Amino acid sequence: MEKMARVTTALGGNALTGRTMFCHLDAPANAISVCRDAAQVVVAGRNIFKIYSIEEEQFVEKLNLRVGRKPSLNFSCADVVWHQMDENLLATAATNGVVVTWNLGKPSRNKQDQLFTEHKRTVNKVCFHPTEVYMLLSGSQDGYMKCFDLRKKDSVSTFSGQSESVRDVQFSIRDYFTFAATFENGNVQLWDIRRPDRYERMFTAHNGPVFCCDWHPEDRGWLATGGRDKMVKVWDMNTTRAKEIYCVQTIASVARVKWRPECKHHIATCSMMVDHNIYVWDVRRPFIPSAMFEEHKDVTTGIVWRHLHDPYFLLSGSKDSTLYQHIFKDASQPIDRANPEGLCYSLYGDLAFAAKESLISSDSNRKPYIGDRRHPIFFKRKLDPTEQFEYISSSSALSVFETDVESGSMDWFVHTAKQYALAGRPLAELCDHNAKVAKGLDRNQVAQTWTMLRIIYSSLGTVASTNLNHSMGKGSTALPLMNSFNLKDIPAGLGSESRLDRSKGESRTENILMDSSSTLINNEDNEETEGSDVPADYLLGDVEADEDDLYMMDHENPHAEEQEYSLPQEAFPLRHEIVDNPSALDHLQDKADSPHVSGNEAETVSLTPVESFSLISISHSLYENRLPSDFFNPIVRDTLLFYAEQGDVQTAVSVLIVLGERIRKEIDEQTQEHWYTSYIDLLQRFQLWNISNEVIKLSTCRAINCLNQASTTLHVNCSNCKRPMSNRGWICDRCRQCASMCAVCHHVVKGLFVWCQGCSHGGHLQHIMKWLETSSHCPAGCGHLCEYT
Amino acid sequence: MFVARSIAADHRDLIHDVSFDFHGRRMATCSSDQSVKVWDKSENGDWHCTASWKTHSGSVWRVTWAHPEFGQVLASCSFDRTAAVWEEIVGESNDKLRGQSHWVKRTTLVDSRTSVTDVKFAPKHMGLMLATCSADGVVRIYEAPDVMNLSQWSLQHEISCKLSCSCISWNPSSSRAHSPMIAVGSDDNSPNILAKVQIYEYNENTRKYAKAEALMTVTDPVHDIAFAPNLGRSFHMLAVATKDVRIFTLKPLRKELTSSGGLTKFEIHIVAQFDNHNSQVWRVSWNITGTVLASSGDDGCVRLWKANYMDNWKCTGILKGNGSPVNGSSQQGIFNASLGSANTSLQNSLNGSSASRYIFKIEAKIPATNSVFLWDNVAEGKEEEQLHNIWFQKSNVSVSLLGFCRCVASIE
Repeated sequence: MEKMARVTTALGGNALTGRTMFCHLDAPANAISVCRDAAQVVVAGRNIFKIYSIEEEQFVEKLNLRVGRKPSLNFSCADVVWHQMDENLLATAATNGVVVTWNLGKPSRNKQDQLFTEHKRTVNKVCFHPTEVYMLLSGSQDGYMKCFDLRKKDSVSTFSGQSESVRDVQFSIRDYFTFAATFENGNVQLWDIRRPDRYERMFTAHNGPVFCCDWHPEDRGWLATGGRDKMVKVWDMNTTRAKEIYCVQTIASVARVKWRPECKHHIATCSMMVDHNIYVWDVRRPFIPSAMFEEHKDVTTGIVWRHLHDPYFLLSGSKDSTLYQHIFKDASQPIDRANPEGLCYSLYGDLAFAAKESLISSDSNRKPYIGDRRHPIFFKRKLDPTEQFEYISSSSALSVFETDVESGSMDWFVHTAKQYALAGRPLAELCDHNAKVAKGLDRNQVAQTWTMLRIIYSSLGTVASTNLNHSMGKGSTALPLMNSFNLKDIPAGLGSESRLDRSKGESRTENILMDSSSTLINNEDNEETEGSDVPADYLLGDVEADEDDLYMMDHENPHAEEQEYSLPQEAFPLRHEIVDNPSALDHLQDKADSPHVSGNEAETVSLTPVESFSLISISHSLYENRLPSDFFNPIVRDTLLFYAEQGDVQTAVSVLIVLGERIRKEIDEQTQEHWYTSYIDLLQRFQLWNISNEVIKLSTCRAINCLNQASTTLHVNCSNCKRPMSNRGWICDRCRQCASMCAVCHHVVKGLFVWCQGCSHGGHLQHIMKWLETSSHCPAGCGHLCEYT
Repeated sequence: MFVARSIAADHRDLIHDVSFDFHGRRMATCSSDQSVKVWDKSENGDWHCTASWKTHSGSVWRVTWAHPEFGQVLASCSFDRTAAVWEEIVGESNDKLRGQSHWVKRTTLVDSRTSVTDVKFAPKHMGLMLATCSADGVVRIYEAPDVMNLSQWSLQHEISCKLSCSCISWNPSSSRAHSPMIAVGSDDNSPNILAKVQIYEYNENTRKYAKAEALMTVTDPVHDIAFAPNLGRSFHMLAVATKDVRIFTLKPLRKELTSSGGLTKFEIHIVAQFDNHNSQVWRVSWNITGTVLASSGDDGCVRLWKANYMDNWKCTGILKGNGSPVNGSSQQGIFNASLGSANTSLQNSLNGSSASRYIFKIEAKIPATNSVFLWDNVAEGKEEEQLHNIWFQKSNVSVSLLGFCRCVASIE
């Protein structure tokens, strides 16, 4: 007790010392208050009322004020306050509405001094006058505030807020007569202690209850309020209307606010629920707390700065039954962990970069550099108007570094994707074409790869290209139709004869196998596609003859086998027959091991339109050395793997498609699928939908192939009888008419069908386009004004 | 070569993240001022802010785009312990006239008890999934079972990492051979030697994520982590932003070598480590092909890293945050950072300081019996020694595409 009687005033030059420490309380704390000498702290709660002294290393329990045999509700404290003038004087607010004062100077064990039982409901807050010893203020749930003179038995005056429950009352530190009260309806009232009849001023501060307020210790007009709306607001009360000067948004409802001593803009807050941390904010930077104490495991109920003039020691009590002393240097600083920079690479190689200005502003005022002629840099600096250096850089500069067309951007990818030919022509041509494309884009290595592939695989294939030239000469107009012309033009008998001449027996059967499957395919496709729009893939398309004929007439060509190799296998729209049945192809590939020499090889070479002299010679030498083409397969495989590992999946997939069966079996299915999905994903990123669809179509992986058949369902009604069509075919079950007639040419539409959503008439895309160029009415004559976009 | 275009972001506090969408046409920024802004690229290349709204009641740490197949969807995460999913609403409104679009909150994920530090959508092939990580060391994986209903997310997995998490990255590989994988970085700065990068892999048998690897060499706080776009590679590349920039490769060992049905074992190599930022590295980001890595650090610079044909990673460019070039790159303020694919940039300079170009020349020697074709780089500059005299010859036939830019064909 002697210690308590000792009176010290200010810090007196000796700074407080101590460390972050805590002690267990027996029960959850509701409020804490500190003695003005900063050496003791009182903790009050529903089941606790104790005084601890704050030692260097620990808290030491000094006194338990809960005495007496049967616990009285008077001990159940909602709030506690230690008088800042008289060290023996405490006041508590009880949950039963009683205001109790305690005199530590009493010699008896029970220190209870006075009992005011005037409030009808819980008293939320008690507050001593900062300079007047005997004046005590209380605010209660019943909506009244009462001022007590401790020398008298009853309250001196009663203030009716005439609104809702009072959550907090605080005497102004500077104005002797003024106090502020906050209410559950969001209002804040200012009262003059001498005029209990009417408040001086009232304003709505928050949405929902205002749980707390705190006057600024130095700035007389500043009042901070915290509410359930998760905001802390700082009001300037000097002006006639209370003006909100700062607003801090916290993450949970604000239970307590306490200005930090000696730091004008700092304020400590704790929350009523969810959030157990204590934050110290700089009100000028309302978004990131400048410090954070994370020790408590449950809701923090009371915070108090240990000494009026020391900004580094914070005491807190919590529902987790602990009492903590926090030291500022141990606080975590969220801003240190906050990332001051953002960086993102865009698809096109642009870089977006946002950085804290202080990081980049050292020489930011330099003039734009000379290299940039097109886009002047507008460098906006937003200077923080505040004086303190540490927050001067609380804004970021955002810029996008755009890559140039020439150097960096991904244009090469787009161009390559668009220009590559993947199918529909003989291998040699595809390779040449693609090599040219790659060269045009300065991708020499890729160009070389294509060229080499051509050499490797079409030393035999060049023959085919010669044939191609021949058949072109015969007058075939469209390249893709070349083979069908051949098939038709040459009499079956001749074909079989030459075949017998040139081919070995086994290979013949295999060819038949092969052809039969392709015929099947072609037959299927004929049903689905219209003759006029034969896509480029149909090398063997439009075979009208039946299968028996085919057996006889196929490979009229003297270089039958060579031609087989030259045909890009994927040029057939591959169906599951082939995927499921690779054995036939296997044999074919095996067959290829036996060297074939054809008489007109030299002629072939000379006819091939190859630019590079060395390439010709290579193919020549390769040929002369009689190397089978799949001898190189492992090397080509390695090449593809190399490209894939380098991130150029485009090349890998393109080669894979172009080479088709030649290389397919060298690479396991899973890897291929992986490449395909990667490439398709990339194409779709660049919004190259058509190309991605083409790749899907040309791919030989079943998982990929079905990609463009998934998740697209079109429900069609018959255009005549308006009934839903069955799934099979284009003939309506009911009216026995073909549903998809072109309104312009009156033929059945297969393939692209466009129709007006208004009148449901439509037809071939080309026809409708042409029609609508001249007329805006429906071509079917229904009178509808069709729109076509 | 880069052209800097400064944007008045007008965020009221630090910008913590920038994110481009799938097609590179939109950009989202998030800031401590609790808002997210969406920027659209106009025809002439300018970025216009088309939406700005308050998303959280705390600092917004990260913002990320979902695959456009799921709509225009953003996810954000915040200090306020939540992550949120946002969708752009298409419709007629006055906002449209002012060039503004409207974003609505579809869900708030409130499972975390601490700051949510990162949020990432899973690769598209996994469906609509979202991973978050939080400062208390928990990675949560959510899934929207119905992709049409963005307001319903179910918590599928909770992975406890035991260390405060700062960043996550999904392995983008779409290969069936690679099971779903997520890398987690920790910014825990307590002086322990625990690995700050952990890699979790989905186990098909147990249907759980289990720790596959921990990068034991990374012991400093990690601020960002990024898997490179896979693009058909058989291995994974992982960039880590810690006190320096590091690039790891993770090569899955063949399944049959590992215990059956268990986790994949990886052969991990560190292929690059750079402390050129001389300070904390905050962000790493890969280009679309996974050939160039950009990193940014406390020095306020963005550095670009790229491997040459020998798989040596080198700095190919330095960008100052304000758009001005860093002194020392000798190109009159033009950074020659080659951004093409690794294979195509033969002609691009490999190191930012020299503008040397590799000239491609074909040498063809065709003796009667022995044909050797050598495509060689005639290099000007530093790489010369390395480039020359590496070629491949075998008694019979060999065609080899060596390294970066070398083709040797030799035929007997």
